[in-house]
Amino acid sequence: MAAREPRFNQHVLIDTTPMPSSIPPVQEVGASSAPLLSASYFIGARCKAYNDDFMKCKTDANGRGEIECLKEGRKVTRCAAGVLEDINKSCLEEFRKHWTCLDDNNQQLWQCRRLERGLNKCVFDNLKLEKTIPGTPENEVPVHLRKKQIFAHSLLSQ
Amino acid sequence: MGIPFEALIPYGVMLGMFAVSGAALSKIRHMQNGDKRPRHSVDAWDKQMMDRDRRLTGFLRGQTDSVKAPPGFELSNPWRVEPTFT
Repeated sequence: MAAREPRFNQHVLIDTTPMPSSIPPVQEVGASSAPLLSASYFIGARCKAYNDDFMKCKTDANGRGEIECLKEGRKVTRCAAGVLEDINKSCLEEFRKHWTCLDDNNQQLWQCRRLERGLNKCVFDNLKLEKTIPGTPENEVPVHLRKKQIFAHSLLSQ
Repeated sequence: MGIPFEALIPYGVMLGMFAVSGAALSKIRHMQNGDKRPRHSVDAWDKQMMDRDRRLTGFLRGQTDSVKAPPGFELSNPWRVEPTFT
């Protein structure tokens, strides 16, 4: 939509006009950055089809994606909210520990692998969702499964 | 022959003053970041996510894992406006 970034943008305008009633409303996802990062691979595991649909729609829309891809966007939001709700119901403690650790560590996933292993196990047992990193070469161990994280600050949290 | 500790007292005073001011600044920075370690290497994505956190919780470093956004969240994304040239 915006062809260029606005300059000297100290002024903000908050438009409180609600959306037209012809567009079905969807409840926005209420998770902030650390829980969302923590749950992101599980959202990707369950919602891959909807996410790919949305990205394809935006790419094909040639700049009009914000207007034309609202339907796919609603599906993405509902799917992500569904995953978050399931994680909250079944694995709340591990989830909270993991995203608290991420928040302490500049949102860097490699500092919190120990807690991530607990979360991955819990989510796999309860929700059958597994974290995979797309684009890992076939002959290498994925980074989240390696024993030693070379950039982690402390040995304890690996 | 012992070490001349009276001559080293001024160095101790200087070191102590550096230590106290450094600790005080570090504590202030810790408190300003919501009792967490400050973020570093914040890029545009992180700035945008922290702005979203502020819209969700009211604090720049606040976090919440609720599924539903608070009411009014859909409308609180500001338009950045600039003075126009005519």
